[in-house]
Amino acid sequence: MSAVGPISRETLLAYADGQLPQAEAETVAAYLAANPEAAAEVALWARQDDSIRTLFGPAGAEPVPPRLKPRRLAAEMESRNRGRWRWAAAAVVLLGIGLGAGWLTRPLLESRPATYDILIASAVNAHRVFAAENRHAVEVASNDRDHLVTWLSNRLETEVGTPDLSVEGFTLKGGRLLPADPQAGGRAAQLMYENAAGERVTVYITAALPDPEPAYEFASLDGAEAFYWANARITCTVVGTLPQERMQTVSRTVYRQLTGGSTGMEEYRGMS
Amino acid sequence: MSEFLSEIEACVPALRRYARALTRNADTADDLVQDCLERAIARRGLFRPQGPVRAWLFTILLNLYRNGLRAGRRRGQVVALDDVPSEPVTPAPQPGHMALAETARAIDALPLDQKEALLLIVLEGVSYAEAAGILGVPQGTLMSRLSRARAALRSAAGVPGEPYLRTVK
Repeated sequence: MSAVGPISRETLLAYADGQLPQAEAETVAAYLAANPEAAAEVALWARQDDSIRTLFGPAGAEPVPPRLKPRRLAAEMESRNRGRWRWAAAAVVLLGIGLGAGWLTRPLLESRPATYDILIASAVNAHRVFAAENRHAVEVASNDRDHLVTWLSNRLETEVGTPDLSVEGFTLKGGRLLPADPQAGGRAAQLMYENAAGERVTVYITAALPDPEPAYEFASLDGAEAFYWANARITCTVVGTLPQERMQTVSRTVYRQLTGGSTGMEEYRGMS
Repeated sequence: MSEFLSEIEACVPALRRYARALTRNADTADDLVQDCLERAIARRGLFRPQGPVRAWLFTILLNLYRNGLRAGRRRGQVVALDDVPSEPVTPAPQPGHMALAETARAIDALPLDQKEALLLIVLEGVSYAEAAGILGVPQGTLMSRLSRARAALRSAAGVPGEPYLRTVK
């Protein structure tokens, strides 16, 4: 055993935690056989492990209560969402009919739908209206990008960026200022993107809501896909009629750029 | 979707076990797991990063737990009378041998970063690399947390502090 050299504490820990590849583990085992003091330390760690597993291991073998079944949770969330989307659909209709008619039908609504439902509905509505326009699709075109950004940021009183969607094949066409729900500051910025095929995606941004809890929603609404999220700075809804999968990719890119997040794990760490 | 739910489902027992060890309260732990699952299901697709679902779920769970602790500190915490730790009645029979209750107390007393790390490795048996990813720290940081956690448990068990290896590098 004298052939075995000194072994670092880190290696011993990794050995005790079962993290070493087999060859290395065998070397450490041989070393321990010749070094009772080190062996005692490793044995102590093993006893710690036993205690921890004895204490907490059984919880993992208990039958899982129904409320923790993912399928059931998903179904419950789905039906909650359906309820909400009925509100959102109603909001779209109301916006379409116009404010006056909206007031008339207001008593029919038992309570105010969640602000984000209103925002999503507004974003979808705005997409529908302006994505169909040709000469007047945007108010400020992308060749005046700096002005667009400064102007919208000032009006929304929050920093509005224009995400770069060239990876997805989309270029910025321009943007406009729109009225929005008072809860979200009363103003929204709509950015419009277009690809070579003439398909359009809009990004609807407002200042943060009074309760700037992070939130995430996505839904299909009358043939359009909408992806909504909010953070402490903005709310953002990406709308388009691309297939759902492509919309997700585009939305992910927008999200990443507008939240200033990097890639990978940090991205959702900040969001939880 | 269905496959995604199955993947999540397979992780539920481990999440419960880990949450129970962190919170030491079955109901609080299950609430935490439920929040974690709902969040994961709500964000499938758009916000789910590449890679194994398990690591992602553990990260969500830990974030929720930490947020809850922060909120709890603001509110002050309610502790059931039965949960108030009492003094150990009998000393440990011999140095290095830890009574279970004593281990539990020693783990409760660990700083959160050490406790999270130790439980991930020992209880959940994840690799150093995965644990480092879940906790968002470099592997070296993870290992030093583990080492300190081990040393703290060791002295809680009445073994004189200094581990043998100072000389050997």
